Amino acid sequence: MSTIRQQLTSPLQLFALTAAGIILLPLGYVTAQALLADPAVWSRLWNTRIPELLFNTVSLAASVAVVTLFLGISTAWLVTRTEFPGRRLWEGALVLPLAMPTYVLAYVYSYLLGFGGPIEHLWQLMAGPQARIFSPHSYWGATLVMSLDTFPFVYLLSRSALLSMNVSFEEVARASGASRLSTLWRVTLPLMRPSIAAGVALVILYVVSDFGAVSLLRYQTLTYAVFQQMTGRSDNTAASILSLLLVGLALIFLITERWFRERSRFYQTTGRYRAPQRHQYGWLGTMAITSYLGLIVGVAFALPTTLLVQWSLSPEAQMTLDSRFFGFVWNSGILAASAATGGVLIGLPLAYLASRRPTLLNVGCLQVAYAGYVLPGPVAALAVLVLFTQLAPVFYGSVLILIVAYVIHFLPAGLQSLEPALQQITPNLEEVSRTLGFGMRATWRRVTLPLVRNGFVVAWVLMFLQTMKELPATLLLRPVGFDTLAIRVWMEASEEYFQLAAPAALLIVLLSLPALALLVSKDWRAA
Amino acid sequence: MLLTCSRRTLCRTILFGLMLWAIAGGAVPHAHATDKLTIYSGRGERLIKPVLDAFTASTGIQIELLSSGTTELVNRLKAEGNRTSADLLITNDAGSLELARAAGLLHPLNMREVERAIPAQFRAPDNAWVGLSGRFWIVVYNTTLVKPNQVKSLLDLANPKWKDKIAIPNSGSEYLQAGVSVIRAMHGDEKTRQFLQGLKTNAGGQVYQKSSQIVDAVAKGQVALGIVNHYYIYRHLTTQPNAPIAALMSDQQEGGMGAIMNVAGIGIIKSSKHLDSAKLLIEFLVAQAGQKLFADLDKEYPLHPDVKADPALVERKTFRAALVPLTKLAELREPTLTLIEQVGLR
Repeated sequence: MSTIRQQLTSPLQLFALTAAGIILLPLGYVTAQALLADPAVWSRLWNTRIPELLFNTVSLAASVAVVTLFLGISTAWLVTRTEFPGRRLWEGALVLPLAMPTYVLAYVYSYLLGFGGPIEHLWQLMAGPQARIFSPHSYWGATLVMSLDTFPFVYLLSRSALLSMNVSFEEVARASGASRLSTLWRVTLPLMRPSIAAGVALVILYVVSDFGAVSLLRYQTLTYAVFQQMTGRSDNTAASILSLLLVGLALIFLITERWFRERSRFYQTTGRYRAPQRHQYGWLGTMAITSYLGLIVGVAFALPTTLLVQWSLSPEAQMTLDSRFFGFVWNSGILAASAATGGVLIGLPLAYLASRRPTLLNVGCLQVAYAGYVLPGPVAALAVLVLFTQLAPVFYGSVLILIVAYVIHFLPAGLQSLEPALQQITPNLEEVSRTLGFGMRATWRRVTLPLVRNGFVVAWVLMFLQTMKELPATLLLRPVGFDTLAIRVWMEASEEYFQLAAPAALLIVLLSLPALALLVSKDWRAA
Repeated sequence: MLLTCSRRTLCRTILFGLMLWAIAGGAVPHAHATDKLTIYSGRGERLIKPVLDAFTASTGIQIELLSSGTTELVNRLKAEGNRTSADLLITNDAGSLELARAAGLLHPLNMREVERAIPAQFRAPDNAWVGLSGRFWIVVYNTTLVKPNQVKSLLDLANPKWKDKIAIPNSGSEYLQAGVSVIRAMHGDEKTRQFLQGLKTNAGGQVYQKSSQIVDAVAKGQVALGIVNHYYIYRHLTTQPNAPIAALMSDQQEGGMGAIMNVAGIGIIKSSKHLDSAKLLIEFLVAQAGQKLFADLDKEYPLHPDVKADPALVERKTFRAALVPLTKLAELREPTLTLIEQVGLR
């Protein structure tokens, strides 16, 4: 019974090919532009900017990796291997920082830690009036902000590794006389290694492609430099060259993450026979654990949110809540809805074909759609911009170009839930429906769609949220009158009008919360 | 096929999304009512919006404002060509306007109001762009950390004694590009290169995206000196009168080059279909009342000879400007960018 497939194949195949082309072409254009650039530009960049930018980017990624490693694993271990009052609450609270876009956290911390800011004042009360704390606009500032924002990736992966791990290994080690610490070091952690590595690779990918935090903290990375080249120069050659380097760097970490994720699956197949024993602590231990977790959730989420609320209630901020503000909300909503819808419509045929007819071509098309992972916002914007000016200048400056950039950029997030949703349903169900007399359309409507609906909704919501938070591509490509909430936050925060940026920032955080719940229950990798 | 199942929530979502998409896509080409102007502005929104709001209030002509980087907007206008929805371009730099004019993006003007109000050196020969307000790229210093006689010239900021004590704008800033162009014209490439290298070393990590941040850093004492457009100093003083900052009109010494001047200006886009409304706006901005807005709100030097600058500012007659014609900023730009990149300014 292959009529469904045959009837669907040709137009769908064509569509999938076109979609893959639209995704791949911009990247190809940027690559070509970079490779065809005058060698003099290459050598000038190589002699001046590239070593500094590469060093900054890689060293930031490294330090964030170390910090998130520690925070992620320790918190995961506490919530899975110990028992204390409020444990389940903390288990959820540790994910909250993911609701905070990096640029929001960055702007809150450039106030808190800034020169003459509240934390410096506190410090000066203790250490004398001349005492200084480290500047947030530095390597350490960027490390702090990015770590607080991304450690939940490592936490979530470590937590699921700890939960699904076969406890027999640990029990054997303990029974053979190994101490608890030695068991942790020699048995538990090695077993978690693939998950941890996948989490860290994800963190690094995130750091390398971040624009919001590094631009507000004035820390020069490749992604930030691409944006600066695009806005400060009249030709995009240098931006293309830096983009190419950036894509290469991101690709390395994407492949690392995939590779370790495959391996972590292997470990999990051993399954577990029963839940591990949780260690009970006395009141002192409970206090220590609670204050440790409280500190982390506090600085990564509670404190920034409190500040945002307080700023939003200030009279200056209240003044900005006029019809113009609701225009920004509407713009954010409409752009995000369009991008999410476009993403689902384009992602569906790609995922469907790859799961039903996994030919080399179809699987290839699907893999191409994951290219967005290695295209940081400014690069996606540059790619789309270059493509459209070459091929279809009619659309330049229209909403379409922005939406295409969003779809390319965020399709991977959507595909991560579309793909499993489609794989879940066996073709047999459709075939049964057909043998029982339903037509092809009826089969789609009554069988296939209801089965994949949840995956759809999740994919849509994920892409909606990602788009709503997106900053660099929106800054570079937005048409007239399409300022979004994210743009307003960035514009006000980059001039240090902290109160004025707060209402928009708070709204973004609040809107992200329900989706975060969805994300954690389904597929949080996309955050 | 998907759309036949309208009763399903999912399809409703998709339909709704498509509808939104259509509205969003459709909104742009139809954005023009008869009396609506679209302006691409490279000036900070809070510096120009109040002035444009005053225009809307007096004429009823609505204004759609896209605020972004000047260079970015000129790039965009080039790419959009005749299809652009922009009617006017406002920039923070005469060089960018001249480049836009050379690229054929701007509409030459024959308006007596303009010629009467704005002296010839502040507009293009064919009036394709018109300067609206003057600004000087000068030194801001912290009065508790620096004595005004310690710095005579912008070039002094490259002196090693100011290591880690100065703040500068990033190299994408059009002020910086114009300022460096003037220094090149007056002092030559080699001296400029040394200056930039010193500046880079002294500033270290204190390279800012916005001038307001530089003034803020100087006011807090985070750094002792900074290079900014003069009006950011006075705007800061308006909100915080006790801030320990002051403007230093640089390069006034015997044989010095004079303070670096630039203008913010406006030009009508060639393909604009709202020429009359656009001219009305220019007329409004160059007239005495409009010029006074730039003086009062933004603390810039009005270009209209009969309009006085804010009394807090250094009296315009007491200092001189570098003698590099504004139109020349355009041709100086490309080699300046090369030099900036060779030095490796951020």
